[in-house]
Amino acid sequence: MTEAQPAGPQLPTGELRLAVGRRGGRGVATSQYYQGALRVIRPHYLDASGQVAYTIVNPGGGYLGGDVYDVDIQVEEQARLLLTTQSATKIYRTPGAPAVQHTRIRLGPGASLEYLPDQIIAYRDATYRQQTVVELAADSSLVMCDVVTPGWSPDGGLFRYEEVRLRNEIHRDGRLLALDNLLIRPGDPASPLSGMLFLEDYSHLGSMLVVDPRVDDGLVQELRDLLAPLDPGGQLGLSLLNGPGFALRALSRSTGALNKTLFAAVDLLRHRWYRQQPLNLRKY
Amino acid sequence: MQNTRTEPREAPAHRPPSYWLPLLQLADSALPTGAFSHSFGLETFLERGLVRDEETFRIWLSHFIHTQLTHSDGLAIRLALEAGSAAELRELDALLTAQALPRQVREAGVKMGARMLQIASAILDSAEVEQYREDVAAGDCSGHPALAFALAGRSLQVPLPELVSTYLFSTATSLTQNAIRGIPIGQDAGQRVLRRIHPDIAAATVRIAGLDRSDFGATAPGLEIAQMRHERQRARMFMS
Repeated sequence: MTEAQPAGPQLPTGELRLAVGRRGGRGVATSQYYQGALRVIRPHYLDASGQVAYTIVNPGGGYLGGDVYDVDIQVEEQARLLLTTQSATKIYRTPGAPAVQHTRIRLGPGASLEYLPDQIIAYRDATYRQQTVVELAADSSLVMCDVVTPGWSPDGGLFRYEEVRLRNEIHRDGRLLALDNLLIRPGDPASPLSGMLFLEDYSHLGSMLVVDPRVDDGLVQELRDLLAPLDPGGQLGLSLLNGPGFALRALSRSTGALNKTLFAAVDLLRHRWYRQQPLNLRKY
Repeated sequence: MQNTRTEPREAPAHRPPSYWLPLLQLADSALPTGAFSHSFGLETFLERGLVRDEETFRIWLSHFIHTQLTHSDGLAIRLALEAGSAAELRELDALLTAQALPRQVREAGVKMGARMLQIASAILDSAEVEQYREDVAAGDCSGHPALAFALAGRSLQVPLPELVSTYLFSTATSLTQNAIRGIPIGQDAGQRVLRRIHPDIAAATVRIAGLDRSDFGATAPGLEIAQMRHERQRARMFMS
């Protein structure tokens, strides 16, 4: 926990800035800075496509009350970045002040980002606010996923956290394309989580946002057909955004089942657009 | 009674506020905005059998009010009353469109927004309503009924609690009329639901006054999924 700080600007708990450009047909970091409780481990290339893969690590192992994480990702012209995390984002008790993560993503002309972090696990009495702002060029490509779990508490009870808020703002070519604002407050009696408008008797929520000039209604239909067998309970929705992109939401009872659905969609897009093989993140 | 006079008196206390009758007109359930053809996902819950009678519909309506309606339309109305410039109002219009991820909800907003603007323009003399109409016609704004309603209320100088609760109740009335046809339930059952929803409307009105801008567009995932899945539903009575 933090002690009383001397006057003056305070560094974020963890800070990561990464810019990726295209050099010799491959994505490489053109600048990189991190401090505190965030860093990236050495990049790798999963295939011969030139897409570079970076993994974000939180050496502290979890977020605490008052923690501020600052992430700035830039993908330059024609470069392709796959960004993932080493493990789940864990939010411990946050008495006093929430844990906050601000992420800013800028995608240059023809650039692409697949941002596939592990699931979020909020512990008992945790409040977490994640705010992500993405700015895309008209011809850049974004695939972004989130999985929110029911959290963790010592007695095994679900949804013992105070609040999880995930707010994604997507700007394309200078125009606000989508505002995806998810707010889960398990203790709010006016909109109970087990209600039919929230989670019913499901426990896990998956979300995906895709913006790419190649998205159209035909692709949305194709994805619905592809994903339907993975969604026996009929708890998956897909819809075209107000521009070339789509939003996907799914409810489930496990992170594994949701990842299967989300990665099926990711893999279709990777193959369709870049002739890449299904993703295998080989986490260990 | 003392001092009873036979002719009507022109005392201010006896007149309704100047906004009263225009507000009643704009909130009337027969207002031709096309609300009768939009269920905002309710039809998916009907199809699944989760909304099937008076009580299940009341629960659905209560949760709808406290989740999506509060954080999109309701908060938009408050922010429109607080807006200091035309640019802020255009930004609100963009936010209303952007936060509606399900396509049919977004399209419902555009359609009903155009109708609400036309009606407000016909019954009011409001520079702000006219400006919004021009912005929509020029393609600078998408149009949304909550913002058109808010601008009308702003011109009429309707206090925030009256304006917000009127809009919420008007939406609840339209959805109840749709439920009466869609479930179906009786007219009296519909009126009972509306009476029982009063405390929800009052609570949501209070909550809207205290929301933060970062709350804008917060919705409930199950509702959004239902609104998205409605696009594929067969034999639909409603456009959303």
